[in-house]
Amino acid sequence: MILCDHLTKDYNGVPAVDDLCLEIPAGEVFGLLGPNGAGKSTTILMLVGLIQPTSGACSIDGIEVAAHPIEVKKKIGYMPEDVGFYPDLPAEENLDYAAKFYGLSEAERKRRVGDLLTLVGLDSVGTKVGGYSKGMRQRLGLARALVNDPAVVILDEPTANLDPRGVLDYRRIVKGLAEQGTTVLVSSHILSEVSKVCTSVGILARGKLIASGDREMLSRAAMQDRVTIDVETMTPMPRLTNPEILSAEYSQDTCSARIVAKHDISTLIAEALYAEGILPRRLAVEKPDMEDILLSYYTEGAA
Amino acid sequence: MTATGLRIIAGKEFSDHLRSRRFHLLFAILAVVAAVGMITGAVQYSKDLSDYNAVQMIAENEDDPTLAGNLAGLKPSVLSAYSQMGMLMAGIGVVLGIAMGFDLVTREKESKSLKSLLAYPVFRDEVINGKALGGVGAIALAMGVVLAVSVAIMALFGIVPSVDEFVRILVFGVASFLLVFTFFALALLMSTVSKDSGSALLYSLIVMIVLSSFVPIFAYTPVYSAVFGDAPTPPGMSTYSYQQSSSAYTVTSVAVAYKSDDAVDPEALAEYERASREYMNQKRAITDIVTLVSPTGNYQTILGAASQPAGDNTPGLGSLLGALARNIIALLAMPAAFFGLAWVRFMREDIR
Repeated sequence: MILCDHLTKDYNGVPAVDDLCLEIPAGEVFGLLGPNGAGKSTTILMLVGLIQPTSGACSIDGIEVAAHPIEVKKKIGYMPEDVGFYPDLPAEENLDYAAKFYGLSEAERKRRVGDLLTLVGLDSVGTKVGGYSKGMRQRLGLARALVNDPAVVILDEPTANLDPRGVLDYRRIVKGLAEQGTTVLVSSHILSEVSKVCTSVGILARGKLIASGDREMLSRAAMQDRVTIDVETMTPMPRLTNPEILSAEYSQDTCSARIVAKHDISTLIAEALYAEGILPRRLAVEKPDMEDILLSYYTEGAA
Repeated sequence: MTATGLRIIAGKEFSDHLRSRRFHLLFAILAVVAAVGMITGAVQYSKDLSDYNAVQMIAENEDDPTLAGNLAGLKPSVLSAYSQMGMLMAGIGVVLGIAMGFDLVTREKESKSLKSLLAYPVFRDEVINGKALGGVGAIALAMGVVLAVSVAIMALFGIVPSVDEFVRILVFGVASFLLVFTFFALALLMSTVSKDSGSALLYSLIVMIVLSSFVPIFAYTPVYSAVFGDAPTPPGMSTYSYQQSSSAYTVTSVAVAYKSDDAVDPEALAEYERASREYMNQKRAITDIVTLVSPTGNYQTILGAASQPAGDNTPGLGSLLGALARNIIALLAMPAAFFGLAWVRFMREDIR
């Protein structure tokens, strides 16, 4: 559904997006992760036809964005990071104005605007948008991205200003979109948000895609590098020897140790202790959390 | 280009202008100024007409064809009222144009709605064209209302313009519209090049001052004399000037008189006449160029010519438009140039 083919964007000779190749199948909720300045927003701006790539191409539903921007814009709903509205108009009029561009009839617009305001919890707010909080604007931005019932929804940092209730509503809406088969691209540097709603992720660093796949695959990939195993025993343990062990730290009484190994060798450690007649009190494998995974990728990408 | 996007944007801009307090305020001032100008002009016209009729009666009674002939070209015209209104319009209209255009693009940047607007299925040129079209519509409406008010006031005073005068009133209306549109286009350009509305307003005012006041200064006598030298002085003679004026226009003529015992060198006199002619031609050429660069200068030239009273020596409408062709073209070209630059700048606007 979304395809980036060697997509590159330079600003004054400095690549903001560098030879990005990415394919997001239809119905996927894809998280585009990366630190600030990684090129996420630039990628999105090219996908929504607001800027032209320096080289390469991107397409939505088989339509090349640069060649047919209007056709592509009709298919997508976009919420920018710095979402903006006409402050002197109420939410209904802001959404109605947006809906006019998609050729909806007046009755259809009215129904759609009402439904969307209810969906994002702004149906009972009567003030002009100028009086909205950032979180309310973010909700309204989400509603506006859905005004044309798009096949592809692109959300740039969608939870940046949301309160916990807003975040829950956002997750509910994105999950609802996924159930309808809508393709969703979420850009964020907040991993926890992406991990809650996305079925697959891609990690950008310095304009390059350094990893992509489903969350489990990324996690496994990260775990392949190293695993930390905490060992505690009732009696002092001998020095553990295994070619998989990268490093080991023992307490003074050698009743506890922190082993870093290439893979999960907790079973081998248990067998070794059993063979020595030592009772283990605790044997825990520390799986890296998603933040650690992400940081490791960022570090790797920056290197 | 899809006409739909253009229509939607132009419609919103037009509606925004009509709902804007700024527009209400300036339009109210414009309407009041126009009404006051028209009432003053109409009263003055009635007085001038009464004076003219009285002088004509004296001339006829005195049977003095010279006196009648001298005053025949000064018959007052209803257009004198528009001349007064036009002077006021040159000030307020310029402010109205700038006020309507200076934040059209910067407001979108400041409210961060530009990125969303451009993400709708709409081409970039539709956005800038729609903004200009909405503004032009609002200006045309304002000018139309002001013109209608002026005609209504004339009717209240029992003044009915002739067909020729009515066409000249329309010329005045179109010139006023073009003047406001010129400064609207200038402000739109500044709005596309500036980061915020404050800067756009400041730049618009600076360019407005340069075009309306600073440039015409070069055509004024003291500045002109300082740059190009003084006019040649006549060789030993006494002069006097004679000036006739009405509320609508001024006619100045200079006559040179010689005392019977003056010794005038014919060669010096011929040289003076040649130098004078050259000086005046050069001055006229420079004044014309300076006027063409200044929208208010063009407007006032058109206004002055269109509001000349109809008489035997007054050129017909065709000749009038022919004589004003350069000014009309300049008044059309300047907003076109400003809008063209705004268009190019907006099309190249970096969205991040």
